[in-house]
Amino acid sequence: MKRPSPSGRLARRRRAWVAPVLALLLVLAACGYDETTVPSPQAATVDAGGGNDGPTCTNDGTQVRSYAPEGDVLSGDAVARIRKRGRLVAGVAADTFLLGSRDPSDGQIKGFDIDMATAIADRIFAPATGKLELRVITAAERIPLLQDGTIDIVARNMTVNCDRWEQIAFSAIYYDAGQKVLVGRDSGIRDIADLADKRICAPAGTTSIQNIQTIQPQAIPVTAGDNSACMVLFQNGEADGVSTDDTVLAGLAAQDPYAVVLDTPFLTDEPYGIGVNADDVDLVQLINVVLEEMRADGRWQDSYDRWLRPSLQVPGKQPKPQYGR
Amino acid sequence: MSQQAPHPQPAADFGEDVPRLLNRLQVAAVALCVLFGVLAALFQVLSWQANGRAADNTEQVVRVQEIQTSLLRADAIATTAFLVGGLEPPEARAAYDAAVDDVLRLITDAADAQPADRQVLADLNVEVRTYTTAVAQARDYNRQNLVIGIAYLNSAGDALRSDALPIVQALVDANSERAVDEMDGQSPILLLIVGVLAVGGLVLVNREISRRFHRRVNVGVVGAAAGIGLLTLVIAVHAGTRSSANADTRDGAYDTAVSEASARTAANDAKAQESQGLINRGSGAEYEELFAVAAETVEQNASPATLRLWRDYVVEHQEVRDLDDRGNWDDAVALATSSDAGDPTAALDAVDAAAEQVVSDAADQAADSFGSGGVVALALAVLTLLGGLVAAAAATWGINQRRREYS
Repeated sequence: MKRPSPSGRLARRRRAWVAPVLALLLVLAACGYDETTVPSPQAATVDAGGGNDGPTCTNDGTQVRSYAPEGDVLSGDAVARIRKRGRLVAGVAADTFLLGSRDPSDGQIKGFDIDMATAIADRIFAPATGKLELRVITAAERIPLLQDGTIDIVARNMTVNCDRWEQIAFSAIYYDAGQKVLVGRDSGIRDIADLADKRICAPAGTTSIQNIQTIQPQAIPVTAGDNSACMVLFQNGEADGVSTDDTVLAGLAAQDPYAVVLDTPFLTDEPYGIGVNADDVDLVQLINVVLEEMRADGRWQDSYDRWLRPSLQVPGKQPKPQYGR
Repeated sequence: MSQQAPHPQPAADFGEDVPRLLNRLQVAAVALCVLFGVLAALFQVLSWQANGRAADNTEQVVRVQEIQTSLLRADAIATTAFLVGGLEPPEARAAYDAAVDDVLRLITDAADAQPADRQVLADLNVEVRTYTTAVAQARDYNRQNLVIGIAYLNSAGDALRSDALPIVQALVDANSERAVDEMDGQSPILLLIVGVLAVGGLVLVNREISRRFHRRVNVGVVGAAAGIGLLTLVIAVHAGTRSSANADTRDGAYDTAVSEASARTAANDAKAQESQGLINRGSGAEYEELFAVAAETVEQNASPATLRLWRDYVVEHQEVRDLDDRGNWDDAVALATSSDAGDPTAALDAVDAAAEQVVSDAADQAADSFGSGGVVALALAVLTLLGGLVAAAAATWGINQRRREYS
């Protein structure tokens, strides 16, 4: 066998170098990138309820007592201040259908709570045209804005309780609301017992979800930012029901023909009052006069019949005032 | 010129197999030359490819930032139109649809351009569909004058920011990282090392030969070393120049494109927050905080011309907020939704258009810069490979001379 010449061996060795280098070139040139990945978001902490640290007092029934009207209700300091300013500033909601919401057709805020604020302004200014400033506020802003004097009153489905009485004052109760549950019309849910294993939504940071769990421990709590966000979850099939005040539920049900409010006793009592700065006792007294005038001349009933009765489907009755504070 | 062939003079070991040694030295010299040629050419080809990928990745960065901007522009238009009431202005609807169409087209383009992004872009597609569905539901409810529409709009905006935008941001980050990595793909030092090693090896070969023959210099081997040295100098200087140009582009046009796109995205986000603050009456302060965050991003990233337009818009925005904060919500909405020249919407449109132009120009400039010089780079790579082979031939010739002298 013929031995390869040195130059032949050299040529083979040269080829031996070239092959892996070319292979390396091909591998490097064909090299792709690692797949793009999205960093996992940090786990969100969900406030399943509670929110506040809890009351430091007991709601023993006396919390619904307000200041009895006395004397000329238009002569007090707070009312004089408002008259001098030329307008009553009321903190209201604009996203709670039937209580206080903006009518997209004309941009005006309308509802049961708005009627209350309008009646109060009417009494101070007679009439209130152009003298009622509706200041849209969040639930969390109600007490701070009253305390710092930014607003004169709150007419925003505000529950009267002893804890809040320690911070602000309230009128007599103008509506006895209570927690109920909204469900699908044909969902088969007829009472609280049927809520077992059902996903019930309530706003995070409220006591509503705790109340449901107390009454039906087998219900599955779901939280969202607010009542409307709960309704979105309900309509998208991510919750089987929504639980909050019956008045709010009435507004939600009025926007969805496939939703009904369960006809059950109130899970909790939520008496609504008009919130006022703790120092403005004379304004509270004036509001209590207005509420009784609305009872007498039928304006309260008219407002209830217009806004809440079609959805709640029960005749409403204005609560009797309790004084003695 | 005829040379008198000297007789071989084994330096120390008279029993040494000189022809065998010469063979080995020849193999070593040829290997060094070929290895230099191949490796140096390879590094240059890889660097040229890196620059091409830097250009492609720059275009992808701009593309995904355009997705980000278009999404927030769609949201700004949707939220502003929502304020008008149930009857959405047709031009606002058309602008929203155009922005969403842009997003969907860009997602497809981006998936075609970068396979590594495809899975994430598919996920983004799902989130965009979720967003547009929620906006459509919000619009339907608003048209029926039902306030639940606000909740759907909020839900759409929240989902956009919590689910879709993090995906887009991940795409921006990943492609920016790829682009910057590729910009560093030039390797003058590596070329210098390869060249110096080759030259050093050839010098050693020459020394081994000179120790066994009377000639201090083997013309072929030293010529190969000199050629490789010269070639190394040329390609290293070229790579250094390209590296420096890449750094200039990265700090110049590329940075301008990316920063301006961030500013444009933030400007549209700010307008959406302005509208949200009016839609969610009573929550103006909350949305104003989000506006301030977006505004800070614009201030830090916008080009001077865009920044001037942005500040014009901020003056208009402040007027909207002042009206709303004084309780004059209707006038605030009228101002925020007006399409008249000088009003907030037109002012924001001017910011958007100016920023879009800056991004487009700077991105083209950056991509062109990274992609330029390809012919020279490839020609040098071929020259290097040929140079290595010529050097190998020279070294072979030089050592063959000694072999002939020995035989």
